[in-house]
Formats: sequence, C-alpha cells, structure tokens
Amino acid sequence: MSTSIPSKIAGAGTGTPIIKIRDFDFAYGDSQALFNINMDINEKEVTAFIGPSGCGKSTFLRCFNRMNDLIEIARIKSGAIKISEVNIYDKEVDVIELRKHVGMVFQKSNPFPKSIYDNIAYGLRIQGVKKKSILDEVVERCLRSAALWDEVKDRLSESALGMSGGQQQRLCIARALAVRPKILLMDEPCSALDPIATAKVEELIHELKKDYTIVIVTHNMQQAARVSDRTAFFYLGKLIEYGQTDQIFMNPRDPQTEAYISGRFG
Amino acid sequence: MDSLKPQNIFSKRRSTQGTLEATISGALRLATYLVIISAGYIFLNISINGSKAVFTTEAPFINVEFLTQKPQTLHVFEPKVIDTELKSIKAAVVKLEANSRNLGSGEIVAADEIEQQIETLEEQIKTLDIERKAGRLMYGDDAYRALAEEPNIEHYVYSNYAYSGGGIGPAIVGTCLLVVGSISIALTLGILCAIFLSEYSTPGRTLQLIRLSVLNLSGVPSIVFGLFGFGMFVLFFGWGVSLIAGCFTLAIMALPVIIAASEESMRAIPKGFREGSLALGASKWTSVRTNVLPYALPGILTSSIMGVARVAGETAPIMFTAAFALRDQLPWQGLEKPTDFFFQGVMALPYHIYVVSAKIPQNEYTRNMQYGAAFVFLLIVGFFALSSIILRIKIRKKYKW
Amino acid sequence: MKLFYQHELENLRTKLILIGEKANEAARIAVDGLLENDLAKIDQALALDDAIDALEVEIDQASVRYITLRSPVSSDVRSILVAIKASHDLERAGDEAHSIALRAKEILTSDGRSGDTVAIGQMSLLSCSMMADAISALVEGDVKLAKAVILRDKKVNELHQQNFETLTICAPDGSTQTPNCFQKVFISKSIERIADHAKNLAEEVIYLLDGPK
Repeated sequence: MSTSIPSKIAGAGTGTPIIKIRDFDFAYGDSQALFNINMDINEKEVTAFIGPSGCGKSTFLRCFNRMNDLIEIARIKSGAIKISEVNIYDKEVDVIELRKHVGMVFQKSNPFPKSIYDNIAYGLRIQGVKKKSILDEVVERCLRSAALWDEVKDRLSESALGMSGGQQQRLCIARALAVRPKILLMDEPCSALDPIATAKVEELIHELKKDYTIVIVTHNMQQAARVSDRTAFFYLGKLIEYGQTDQIFMNPRDPQTEAYISGRFG
Repeated sequence: MDSLKPQNIFSKRRSTQGTLEATISGALRLATYLVIISAGYIFLNISINGSKAVFTTEAPFINVEFLTQKPQTLHVFEPKVIDTELKSIKAAVVKLEANSRNLGSGEIVAADEIEQQIETLEEQIKTLDIERKAGRLMYGDDAYRALAEEPNIEHYVYSNYAYSGGGIGPAIVGTCLLVVGSISIALTLGILCAIFLSEYSTPGRTLQLIRLSVLNLSGVPSIVFGLFGFGMFVLFFGWGVSLIAGCFTLAIMALPVIIAASEESMRAIPKGFREGSLALGASKWTSVRTNVLPYALPGILTSSIMGVARVAGETAPIMFTAAFALRDQLPWQGLEKPTDFFFQGVMALPYHIYVVSAKIPQNEYTRNMQYGAAFVFLLIVGFFALSSIILRIKIRKKYKW
Repeated sequence: MKLFYQHELENLRTKLILIGEKANEAARIAVDGLLENDLAKIDQALALDDAIDALEVEIDQASVRYITLRSPVSSDVRSILVAIKASHDLERAGDEAHSIALRAKEILTSDGRSGDTVAIGQMSLLSCSMMADAISALVEGDVKLAKAVILRDKKVNELHQQNFETLTICAPDGSTQTPNCFQKVFISKSIERIADHAKNLAEEVIYLLDGPK
C-alpha cells in the first residue's frame, strides 16, 4: 500500500483526516468504475466531489456507507477505505453499525409516507428505542438542526408527503441526523429544488459542518464553490485534482480541472 | 374568392383517418357493452330464479330453512283428481300431435283444426297447473316424519324427489370453511414467496425460471389439481377425503395468482423507501417489514380477492379431496377429538350444484334447488370479495403513499 | 435572507473605506507638513504608502475570490467592480500623496522653510474635503453628495492653473529658488490629480448606486 501521495492530490494539511482512502479500485462486474483513488477527507469540513456525468463520484460516495452492496455486481477490487482508522470493507465490520455512523441524503428526497414525527423517529425505533420522552427530544433536536422546527412544530402528526420539496429534503436531512452519524453523505441534495430551497439547504450545510463531516456530490459547480472547504475533481473514475476550494477554482493546477471549471470541457 | 377568405387552420377535415378512428372507438364500445350485457344477463337470471328459493313472501323474508337445513328428500302430494285429469289431457295432446304428424303435407285444413285443438288443451293444462300448485303439499324429510298422519292416499298422489327438499346449510358452511382455510394457507405461503422473489432473490436465470414455473401453475387444469391433491394429500399423506386435503389443494390452485399479484404490488413500491431505511441502519428484514410490506398490503389483499374468485367456485379439485354428497351433521358436530374437525369431509356448494344437476333426473323441483344454491353461492363469494375490498380501503387510508 | 457569506462583501467594503481614509490622511498631513515646516508629519505621510499598497492588493484578491466562488449578480457584482476600480484610484491617490511628501521633504531639507506656498493650502483643503466626501458618499450611499463632489473639481483645476502661472514666473532664471518653485508646481499638480481621483471615486459611487445608466 503506497503512502506517497502526489502533492497535487493529497488534500491533507490543516484538518484531521477522518476518512482515508488508499489505492481504491472499484468495479461493476467487469467494468471498472474507480481507479486508484487516494485521498483524505478531513473532519468537520465540507468536501465536494465534482465532475462530469458518469465520472464515478456518486459511486465513490456510496462506497463510504457501503450502499453499493445492494448492487449485486458491484465489488471492490483493491485498496481500502478507512473511517476512523477502521477499514470498512473488513469482514468483521457490521454494515448496519457503519450506516448508523455514516448517514446519507439522497438526490430525490424520499420521506417515508408516514407522519413527520414517525419519519424522524424511525431510525431510533428500529434500534429499539420506545420511550416517548426520548423520541420527542430527538425529534425536536433534529428538526431544529435542520431549521424546520418552526415550520412544522404544529403538524408533526401530519403526513410527510404534504410538505414542499425543499422541506422534504430538509426532513430527510433531519431524519439522517437522528441516529447521530459522524459523517453525512449528500448525493446531489439540491438538484431537484428551486433556488430558495437550495439556498436554505446550503445555509443548513454551513451550519451543520460545525458538528458533522459532510461530503457532497454536486453537478453545480457554483454550489461546490459556495459551500465546500475542499473540492475533488473526478473524471472517468480517476481523481484528477483535490485541494482547497479557493485554490481549485481560482488557480487549478491541472488543465483538465481548468477546462471543466470554465465550462470548456468536452 | 378562397384566397381572400382566411383559412381556418383548425377546421375539421373529413378523412379516412377520422372515420377509421370513429369506427374503432365504436367497435371497442360495442365489445365492452356486449360483455357487460352478457354478464348482467347471467347475474340477473341467477338472481331472479334464485331469489324464488331464497326469499319468501312473509317475514322474515328469508327462507331460513333453505339456508340452514341439510338437503332432504322432497315428498310431494298432489291432488289426485287434478293429477288424473292432467294426465288424460296430456295424453290427448300427445295423440293429437301424433295425428298431425301422420297427416300429409296437403291437408292444411285438418292440420289447422288439430293445431286449434292442441291450443285449447294447452290452455286447460295451464289452468289445471295453477290449481295443482295451489293444492299440493310438499314436505321435507323432517316435516314428513313429523306429520301426525299421512295425507289420505285417496285424495293425493305421492311422489318423492331426492335432494330437492330441505336446504343447503351444510354446503354453505363447508364452502366457507374451504375458502377460509385455503386462502389462509395460500396467502401465507404466497406472501412469503412473493417477498423472497421481490426482495431477496438475485436477478438471473434462476429467478426467471422460478417466475415461469409459478406462472405455469396457473395454467394447469383444475381437474389435474384434483388428481394431484387426491394422490398427495388423500393417499400419500393419508389424510383421507378431508377438509384439510381440500384446503391444501385449493391453496395450491390459488397460489400463482396470489404470488404474481403480491410480487407486482411489492415491486411497485419505489426503491427510495428501501434505500432510505437501509441508509438509516435498518437490517434488510426490518426495512421490508416496516417500509415495504405495509404499503404493499392493499395490492396483496386485491390478490386475495382474485384468489378467492379462483378457488371458491372450483368443483374438480374438491371432488376427490374434500367433498361429500351428503353429510348428516355439521362439521363441528359429532367429533371424537378436536383434530377430527380437519380430517372430515365436508359438503360444498359447487359440488352440491353438480350433484343436483348431473346425478339425478331433472324436474321443476331440482331446478329450484339449483338456482337457489347458485344464488347463495354468488352471494357468498361476493361477501368475501366485499370484505376484502373494505379491508383494502381501510388499509390504503392508513398506509397511503 | 442573509447569505452565510454576506460578511465577505462587508469586509470588502470596510477595506475600501480604510484605503480611502489612509490615502486622504497621507495627502493631508503631507501638505500640512509642508505648510507648517514639520518634517515629522511628512515622514508619517511617507510611511502610510506601504499600508495603502498592501490594502490595494488585499482588495484585489478578495474581489477575485468573491467573483470566483460566489457568482455574484446585479448590485453585488457592481459592488465588486467599484471596489476594484476605486481601490486602484485610491492607491494612485496614495502614490500622489507619497510624491507630495517626497517633494515637500526636498523643499524643507534644502531650504528649511516652505516659502510662498501660494494657493497650495487652499487646494489641499478642497481636494481633501472632496476625497472625504466621496468616501462618505460610498459609505452612506449618498448619490447627491457624490454629484456635488464632481462639481467641485472645476475649482481645484482653476486653482492649479493659478499656481502654475504664479510659480513658473516666481523665481528668475538661475536663482536658488527655482528648484523649489518647480517642486511646488509638481506638488500643485499632484494635489490636482488627487482631486481628480476623488472625482473618479464619486463617479464610481454613482455607478454603483444608480446602475449602468
């Protein structure tokens, strides 16, 4: 396992790495999706993955909580992803525990067709927590963290499907926070939202990064520029450049990065 | 001039395309109406004729004996006088008809005369029939035995008809038991199978094969199921002709329908629900149990209705495996031990209708019984379907997605 | 709704006001030093130039960063453009103040006293007040004030013309006073240029507030 990482890519530096990826290769059946990824993701920072469609950024994101296990032909070919120093692809790792540690918010908001209260309490209920006082407190905490409490505190027992798109996505974020993950993965969370809802979610991400490590995949470069501390640019399954967001957008080192950012790609 | 008048670009144009469209939509409409009319006719026919047996003119307006008693022999006493008269008139009619056949083709006047005579005689028959029906006495077995004394042989002609008296009580009970039993077994097995097929199986050749076999099951003729049930449950397992053998046979018949419909309804649940709950740290079974099954329930219940429809009306499977033509006691009477409840044969409505129609000579009394049984049968199946629909609506309200 | 990066724009504004005040102060105390024969003040004025240059670089970098990362539109993008142009103007004003200080120092060290300073004092008062008003107009968003600043430039130009005519004939050829007279001409020109920069700043304020009309 190589420990020397090209300086263009390392991205390490001022923060404490919480996710370490080393020589990571991933494939769907015979077609390889990710090639030799090496990077460190720092704690309590927002890291953005950008790149053209099909470059593997969503696949890579879903490796962090092993959601790719749901796809039969997906497999890791070599390398390791270590979260808090534990290789998550180890045989002894319980995937369910991992997923409580690493939460996920999906592109298309998927609130369960239950009440708002039940949506947020779901994560705890399946762990066996039944006490109403605990659940009440968790629901309020999460809704406040997601900046939804004031909007929905009077209608917690109404169906979650009656909310607007932006509210639903924030509900999904609140729901993910209920199990107290350390890391929050967001797969294009704003792609289905209007600008005001998007701004609210971005504001929320800015608030949340004080307590959670956030990794966000986005097609929208301006969003990556607004929201993230570090940005990684992927193309055709390879990590092209990774560094501070300021540097990537104002002064990228790789010409492919420059071309993509200025819209002159392809 | 046309060039000056502005063209209406949206004006209708007569074209072959348009007439073709109209013809096709008319044909579709016609086909649908035909189907509805035929179905309506069948239902109306059975309802009208059946209600003669089921409903009475006096309170409580339902023929309770018909619904609760077991089939009995019908003893009929018709007034002798009318009977002999009817017989002589009918003989005269027969003679006249024979004469008219012997006449040549040229003798029209004589033929007309004979026609007229036949007509008058038929009128007489009609009036006598009404008198006969008014004056006759009918008794089922119990009533007959309860009579203090038999009606006078001098005044009445006696005849009896098997299976035409009494009622269909045990058959109703038997059918209900068979339906409930088989649907419970089929739903349990079917839902488990559907969950496996839609959630746990890996897509591939094996899965295709399984699905194909399940579908093929639904094409198997019901008599084959009957033979299979006979060989497997009655002989091999040694259960004998019993309720439980019938239930299992019918359950296997209903399985393909239930599996297919349940699997469809489970696959209709969006992937996002499963992914969302898995991402929160749920195990696969927890995710299915809490986030997929409840929302698939309406579809599963619909499948159970379809299962009931398939199963309740079948005669062939239960012919060899469960049904008795006549059983004196109701299923819960005369049991030596509790498990005997399952290992006894039962009467069933479809089989009863078969027996009354095919195995004994037909007359006006048996027709009454048949229609009555058919009507009650329709009502029972309708009741099961209705309860399933109501349950489905309730659940849909609770688990709306 | 307040954006979470709103403070970046506000920081930029603060820097702009700071550079303006520093440039104005440098100009003022350089001339005061000349008029009062005070070398200490002139040295103070010289020292400010480094800070002014550094601030201009900071403003440039912050502006580019904001444009790259925040994709501003409408009044935000005009704020950034004004920030870049105004900082450039103010830095040049700072350079002029630096040059005034250097020449004043020359005059005082060679001659010990300033001599006839003609209308330089008056010019300086006017141009410093123009600059101060232009900065106020930016801070308070006062279009009227900005427009008034533009009108006062004419007076400063007239005064410079007067100085020019007086100073070019003040010392006869070959006299020891000649270098000082020329220095004073240059000082007068510098003050006039500072007034021009103030006028530019006022025009940019009007662009920011009224849009590209």
